[in-house]
Amino acid sequence: MKNLTKMMAGGLTALLMTSGAFAQTIGPNGETATPSTEVVVADSDVDALKNGGYTAALVWHDQSDFVNAVTEGATDEFTRLGIEVVATTNASFDTAKQRSDIETVLTKEPDIVLALPLDPVASAAAFREAVDNNVQLVFLSNVPDGYKHGEQYASIVTDDLFAMGKQAADALAADLGETGKVGWIYHDATYYVTNQRDNAFKTTIENDYPNMEIVAQAGISDPARAEDIANAMLLKHPDLAGVYVTWAGPAEGVLSALRANGNKTTKVVTLDLSEPIALDMVRGGNVTAIVADEAYELGRAMAASAARGLLGQESPAFVVAPAVTVTADNVAEGWMQSLHREAPESLTK
Amino acid sequence: MQSTMQKLRQLNLSQYVVYIGFLLIFLFFAVTLGNDGFLTQRNLTNIILQTAPITIMAIGLVFVLAAGEIDLSFGSIVAVAALSSAVVLGEYPLFVGVLAGLGVGLAIGFFNGILVAYLRLPSFLVTLATMGLFAGVARSMTNLRSVPVLNESFVNMFGSGALFGVPSLVLWTIGAVALGHFVFRETKFGAHVLATGDNARAAQVTGIKVPHIRVWVLTICGGLAGLAGLLYAGRLQAARYTLGESDLMTVIAAVIIGGTALKGGKGTIIGALVGSLMMGMLNNGLILMGLSVSDQMIVRGVIILIAVAISLRDVNN
Repeated sequence: MKNLTKMMAGGLTALLMTSGAFAQTIGPNGETATPSTEVVVADSDVDALKNGGYTAALVWHDQSDFVNAVTEGATDEFTRLGIEVVATTNASFDTAKQRSDIETVLTKEPDIVLALPLDPVASAAAFREAVDNNVQLVFLSNVPDGYKHGEQYASIVTDDLFAMGKQAADALAADLGETGKVGWIYHDATYYVTNQRDNAFKTTIENDYPNMEIVAQAGISDPARAEDIANAMLLKHPDLAGVYVTWAGPAEGVLSALRANGNKTTKVVTLDLSEPIALDMVRGGNVTAIVADEAYELGRAMAASAARGLLGQESPAFVVAPAVTVTADNVAEGWMQSLHREAPESLTK
Repeated sequence: MQSTMQKLRQLNLSQYVVYIGFLLIFLFFAVTLGNDGFLTQRNLTNIILQTAPITIMAIGLVFVLAAGEIDLSFGSIVAVAALSSAVVLGEYPLFVGVLAGLGVGLAIGFFNGILVAYLRLPSFLVTLATMGLFAGVARSMTNLRSVPVLNESFVNMFGSGALFGVPSLVLWTIGAVALGHFVFRETKFGAHVLATGDNARAAQVTGIKVPHIRVWVLTICGGLAGLAGLLYAGRLQAARYTLGESDLMTVIAAVIIGGTALKGGKGTIIGALVGSLMMGMLNNGLILMGLSVSDQMIVRGVIILIAVAISLRDVNN
């Protein structure tokens, strides 16, 4: 199944490359994207790594299905390469705790640290000790300010952010017959990942679908307020044909608002897998599609990039894993492709 | 034999639970993680550095709880103070930036105090409201952007610097604990705080200005939260609206485990220090054990639950 996933990822990657999607996801410092499938450790190098007695630590920002899948992808690749994972941490989105977590894991003197730096500004000092200790750093989705590829870190690995937003727009357009009024609920924060995804949706609707119009837009910083925001949007625009929601957490609030209003016609498209959202989709509710990333592949590519660094092989500065559009028709395959696990029973029964 | 047993029963375990717990956890990690770097000087110093802001906030909360009040807003004060300081430091010299951070903390604490003492509003509700209010202020101050701190003197003084080889964060911790302990134990003000928390009406009758005490303890708590904000800003060389946000429960747990009564009238600064170090040591040791994140949370939760249960059981008895 793992090989099948890789083949599907590779195929999709090639497809996206030909469509030019990769050309439009750019790194935090303007880097050009390289598909994750190009970052591999050759079988001939595995023995050298196994004999090195290397260790790795995973310094995450939070705990979620996504992080679990990234961890699993990284751990499986590390196991293949004979690298032991000696510590895993969760900063719960707290930059100060992430700094402490880094200090703590460095006590174990890991050769590799995989991490999602919570904030470019506040993380710069936090990761400096790891840099000083010559740790191979591979970042997920974000990079501390002033850090340079090949000097402080081996690679940044992230989703194909533009493709995620674009595929969300394409899925909504397909369901609406490429016509209708759209609401755009975006992440109201300076966060590179969500900003690129949100803007890609908006750009695609504006450029590719002349008969669709974004008539309402609202920023969200606290997912708990999604329901209020959606209620206000629906009050002003009761004829919305579709709504884009920046990620699945707030989309649950939007869905709740639609149900409370008895609205069964406004379609919802969102990003990142969530069982409640997918359940609505397979039951023919408001949700038309969920666009997800290949989290397991992200973890594998991070581990591979770090291992290549230990061997003195340079990895690309900015690596992206493809996006997957999950609909009611491919929910089982999509779940496996994204999170490397079976879809919840509620979705496939 | 019987009298020994009686004495043991009469022994107030809550006074010692934090020290016994600290020792047991330390010994456990020392034995199991001795070869994993737990006992290295660097790691033990890291624990103190990482808990410095928690300890500073815990000192403020001891005063507030001992006076029979509560402050839920100090986490938000941390962020506002850190951001104020970072923004001011961008254009003004060191002392102005420090004053901005501390001043904002003291002012918000004073504001809480006035509402509690003179409008007779419950501190739980007042600080619950101001927690949300100032979390919003922190977010809007810089439009969710982080602010870098480039002033090297500030970073040395509140973050990565050292004096005679002792890290500045350790010095701040020692200074705040020593001063807090002295004020709490050795001054008339400390006695008045305890008397107010024990029985506010009786304290009023004996001539203690209870409203003043309430304003003071909440102002002190705000000021110390401001100092914690400066320490975070110095350590991270940046300020961000999330600073302090997740510290509320950690600080309350450290203070309660340390032997301060939620109902007021009883508190200990040294206990809060040890409680804070215990929380930091738990975080550190559980990560070094290589446990998954979920397992770390479960084990930490169970240990805190046991410690708090023992502390509160004896207080209730």
